[in-house]
Amino acid sequence: MQRPVSSFSLSPGVKVKLASAGFRVTADLLHLSPPQLSREAGLSQQEALEVLQAVRSDGGGGASMSALELLQKEGELKSIVTFSSHLDAALGGGVPVGKSTEICGTPGVGKTQLCLQLVVDVQVPQCFGGVEGQAIYIDTEGSFLLQRVVDVAAAAVRHCSLLVEDEEQRVAMTTFTVETILSNIFLVRCHDYVELLAELHLLPDFLTGHPKARLLVIDSVALPFRRFEDLSQRTRVLYGLAQQLAAIATRHLVAVVLTNQMTTRLRGNQSQLVPALGESWGHAPTIRLLLQWSGSQRLATVFKSPSHADATIQYQITSDGFRDSDQSACSQPGTSC
Amino acid sequence: MVLLRDGMCPGLDEGLVRGLRAADIKTVEDLVSSDMEELAQRCSVSYKALFAIRRVLLAQHAAFPVSGADLYEELLSSTAILSTGNPSLDKLLDSGLYTGEITELSGGPGSGKSQVCFGVAVHISHQLKQNVIYVDTTGGLTAGRLLQMLQAETSNAEEQMEALQRIRVFRLFDVFSLLDCLYGLCGGGLQRASVGGGSVKAVIVDSVSAVIAPLLGGKQNEGMSLMSQVAGVLKTMAKDFNVAALPLLIKEEFDLKWWSRSKEEGGGAAAAASGKRKRDETDS
Repeated sequence: MQRPVSSFSLSPGVKVKLASAGFRVTADLLHLSPPQLSREAGLSQQEALEVLQAVRSDGGGGASMSALELLQKEGELKSIVTFSSHLDAALGGGVPVGKSTEICGTPGVGKTQLCLQLVVDVQVPQCFGGVEGQAIYIDTEGSFLLQRVVDVAAAAVRHCSLLVEDEEQRVAMTTFTVETILSNIFLVRCHDYVELLAELHLLPDFLTGHPKARLLVIDSVALPFRRFEDLSQRTRVLYGLAQQLAAIATRHLVAVVLTNQMTTRLRGNQSQLVPALGESWGHAPTIRLLLQWSGSQRLATVFKSPSHADATIQYQITSDGFRDSDQSACSQPGTSC
Repeated sequence: MVLLRDGMCPGLDEGLVRGLRAADIKTVEDLVSSDMEELAQRCSVSYKALFAIRRVLLAQHAAFPVSGADLYEELLSSTAILSTGNPSLDKLLDSGLYTGEITELSGGPGSGKSQVCFGVAVHISHQLKQNVIYVDTTGGLTAGRLLQMLQAETSNAEEQMEALQRIRVFRLFDVFSLLDCLYGLCGGGLQRASVGGGSVKAVIVDSVSAVIAPLLGGKQNEGMSLMSQVAGVLKTMAKDFNVAALPLLIKEEFDLKWWSRSKEEGGGAAAAASGKRKRDETDS
């Protein structure tokens, strides 16, 4: 079938010139050379060359694979363990690499703590069942506390050194220390949504240069967007952001973790706490986790996942980090029993 | 809208093309819709020659009418109805997905649209033994989930692998890649994707709104035209190649104030292209 020239990714000015010169479908362009095209359509040589390259590269949509090949590729990807076995079970092994996960919750429930735990966990060596990758932390709230990361990292190193069974693991422990953990975390501080978008535009090149990166944390994606005046523009920007993150996650095999805040929705006379950024944002992340309080117990609920049923588990935040909730009755939340 | 070239039809030579170009006649459309007598005088060509050229071009480029009876016959012989694997869904869709038509699925977040699509893909590839093309723009497709669904239908590992091989997955994240992919499929990709004796019977796009929504509204004017192009190529693919196309859209709750501001963003235009609609309602 005839493919119109306007369906290619060319600049609008070039498209207008081509249309007014009468070039509407690709069949009109195929047998021209760049100088001929630039003469007939009034384009510069460079523009004519770009147009012909775009029209001639009939990629057919790029790489496709059968579902069987996809299954084999997925089998090679490991998930990032969260050190909370219940949460790992609910997520099917941990936070999956290559997908985007959203963590939403009220202030103080533990979203940033879980992110800091993941940033350490992604570096666990492969012989211990980890992913052994680097992490990029985009901080928009200013809640990245280095001392806390040191505590969590030290606890993780202690935990792993207790598990050492063979020579390979002993060798791996020499490179898994608090210093190396800190050196494999790349921290970016963004103050508003423009900086966030700019950082995401630069990220693909950065990831190509750092092929060991396996985790991208954005804490939080909601804050820069809550002061937007034009809601329809905000929705557009968020859609574009969602697609960029999906592309980064898939192409560079990175687990994207986003933190979201909560907002109140009024329905008649009732109010309800729902994740911020609107319902349209709800389609963007592949997996969504809700952290909430139930009395004095913290709960984590998986409420959107393409491969696992919804589940709720209990957890606690200890001085070592994000852990399973103790079964023995522990009266005060947040202390390790 | 095809450009006039010499050699397109007898009588249309280089000199005449140049003369017509000078008279601002560049495409077949321009020639056919202009006044023959005036044109003949301006280009100093005989009226008869120009008239003959016009007739040949019309015959080459016009669409031919088909009688209703022939159309009905063709429809009866070429349309297939694909069961979705879920009997109540089939009942809702009047026994299933029709090839040659676009069936649109829309719903709120977490309502199960992708899961329905996985089910359809698994059913078509396993029970009907036909090929499926799945275009994933959100990263939500996990082959592990497809395998899980297949394991519920059959415990034979070889059958499961065969069924997975019949599902072709494209992963793209912006509208131009989507257009590249769809046009590539129309231009021969569908035949290439047919594996193991069957042919491609369904094309699932999960989801169309994810790639088009960033382009609609505001000061951008390309969004609507790209959206219509996606709809057009899906419709052509469905009709010409006898496949069932299944795009996914999202459903949003608008509050009235914002809706009236963004009314011109064309929420209805995409719906106009699809023949049948199915909604998943979330209760929240």
